[in-house]
Amino acid sequence: MPVEVRIPTVFRKFTGNEAVVSVEGGTIGELIEQIETRYPGFKEQLMSDDGQLHRFVNVYVNDEDARYLDKLDTKVSEGDTVSLLPSVAGGAR
Amino acid sequence: MTEELRMPRSLADEMVAHLLEERPNEGCGLVAGSDGRISKVIRMTNASGSPVRYALDPKEQFTAYRMIETESLELGGVFHSHTHTEAYPSPTDVRLASEDVPYIIVSLAHEPADIRAFRIIKESWDAPEGEIVEVPVVIEG
Repeated sequence: MPVEVRIPTVFRKFTGNEAVVSVEGGTIGELIEQIETRYPGFKEQLMSDDGQLHRFVNVYVNDEDARYLDKLDTKVSEGDTVSLLPSVAGGAR
Repeated sequence: MTEELRMPRSLADEMVAHLLEERPNEGCGLVAGSDGRISKVIRMTNASGSPVRYALDPKEQFTAYRMIETESLELGGVFHSHTHTEAYPSPTDVRLASEDVPYIIVSLAHEPADIRAFRIIKESWDAPEGEIVEVPVVIEG
């Protein structure tokens, strides 16, 4: 059973409008590369110039925030679900 | 056809009640539904705890998004309050806008609360600037 990567609405234009992309297990960084191979341009949306995860993107492996695991080096196994979430914020000032 | 955001009076009242309870801080939350009609208000914690800023707690956001999916709904919008200023996107609202849904802004400056919604259209999802397009809010009932 592959890894399911759930794509939020705002990123679906970069995955051919697919809401779920199936990939092979590996680290989160490797998963992103797999999706990039299939959908060129996707990686640029998720990564900052220093090669780290974009600060406005949250990545969950099952129900755990990858920032509290090993970030891009977090290992994801077959059957796991990875969810991508854009940070939501704002304010009057 | 012009996009509209329709919501029952009861849900608009629930949304405003949550935001009033969060004063003096900005309150925030999500709405969900389908085909532009809101059927659920999801109260959220303002992780910023600020009278002028809001941020969804990522874990709550994750849980809410999964619930929306489980209930076969769609994310219909993000709402937050401006406690003393108008119901219009601030430069901060535009700069930090990231989701591809209407942003509902509720001004608590006067009574009754003023509810308006906007799309923030950007060249890229994290661009600091964008075009503000109002989405008419229709309160039903």
